[in-house]
Parts: sequence; structure tokens; C-alpha cells
Amino acid sequence: MIDVDLTSMIDVVFQLIIFFMFTSQFGELRRTEIDLPKQPGDEAEVRHEPAMIIDLTNEGVYLVESQPTSLIEIERLAQIGVSTQHQTDPFDVLIRPDRNASAIYLDRLLLRLSNTGVQRWKLATVGDGGGE
Amino acid sequence: MIDVVFLLLIFFIVTSNFAQEEHKLPATLQTDGGGVQSEDLQPQVIEISVQAGKPIFVIGEVIVHDKQSLVSMLKRLPKEPGIAIRSAPNAPISAIAIALQAARDAGFQKRSYVPSDEN
Repeated sequence: MIDVDLTSMIDVVFQLIIFFMFTSQFGELRRTEIDLPKQPGDEAEVRHEPAMIIDLTNEGVYLVESQPTSLIEIERLAQIGVSTQHQTDPFDVLIRPDRNASAIYLDRLLLRLSNTGVQRWKLATVGDGGGE
Repeated sequence: MIDVVFLLLIFFIVTSNFAQEEHKLPATLQTDGGGVQSEDLQPQVIEISVQAGKPIFVIGEVIVHDKQSLVSMLKRLPKEPGIAIRSAPNAPISAIAIALQAARDAGFQKRSYVPSDEN
């Protein structure tokens, strides 16, 4: 009977698992840390992934993929998204705002998005049960 | 054995999610010039403004200061016309989130936000 030492094999397998877990989580990690409004949200909407995610900082800086992006560029990206949308899956936008940011920054962004034909948007929140 | 235990430890640290789970509040987008309007029913409007540094919510002539009062106020309104929310430019976005959440909690299916173009 041949005695096989499995320790190295287990080591390698775990290393591979950890590698794949790390690389698959990069998309999530690229989200900028934002102090979101504290509301429980709408549970029915949690599963559907938005086509575009825009972060809005307290200073009124818009971030797409963690990069500062002008309103003109956001409008251009949204236009591309709307022109390629399917009827069954309309282009929708998730806005992740700092809860202390002024509404004026949100209004400017939404007016740009409405110019492109975006009709649905979602506000990201973090649930803390009781709200603010 | 220690190798395997450390690898298990690292594995569980990596796979556990430390970030707070995010939720979403959906709304349609409506502009002063038109947009999502239906039939002859006009949606009720929540106006958000700031008084003494704190946001206030105005529906018609009624002023409320917190989410609970807003929800109980909205529950008394008819749901079919839907609800529109508009905000003063200097109001914090957290107040908009409160209004959207209150409308949702009160049972409004049609919720829209009207961005102001006065800026």
C-alpha cells in the first residue's frame, strides 16, 4: 500500500481557493466608501443589479468606478446605456450619495440623466433599522 | 497541521464580508417640464426644505419634522395618484432618503423625485 502525504496538496488547494476568492471580490472592493443615508430601503429591489453606479461625495464630486467624472461624461455614458437598453431590462442608475451632501448635487446629476432618457434611478442606503 | 489551520483562518477571513450591506430605494425621475405623468390624477407633493438647520417636510399646508410623523401623515392620503418629492437645494440628501422611505413605508407604489433646475 502506497502512503500518500496529502498535506501539500491541501495547501495548494487552499491557496488556489484564496486566490480566486480575492480576485472575484475586486469588483466589490472598488466601491468607494461613502457615508450613505441610513434607511432600510426596499427589500424587493436588492437583487437587481443596476446598469450604472454613481457615487456622490459630500463635496459634490461624482465618481464612476471610483474615478472623479464630470457631469458631461456621465451624461455621455448614460446616453450609451439608454441607447443599448432592452425593453425587458431598462437602463437604471444607482446613486450612492453621502448623506450630508446637498440636494443641489443630486438635482444636477438627475437633470443630466433625465436629458438622456433615464427614467428610473435608485438611491443606495444602509439599513440601521430605525432610520435617521 | 498548523499550516492547514492558518490557511483555514485566512480563508474564513477573506470570505467573510466586512462591508455593511447596502439597500436601495427606487424612484422614477420626473422633471418640471413633464415626464412621468398619468391620467388626470395629480400626484401629491412632499416639499423638503431646511428650517433652523434641520430638514422639514411640507405636504400642502402640513409641516412635519420627522419620519414617523411623515409616514402616518402619508398613510392618510390616497395612494393611486402617487407621490412626488422635491427638495430645496440646500437640504441634505438624507432628507430625500427619509421622504422616499416614508412614501414607500406608507404604501405608495408610484414615487418620483423632481429635481429642481433653479441651480
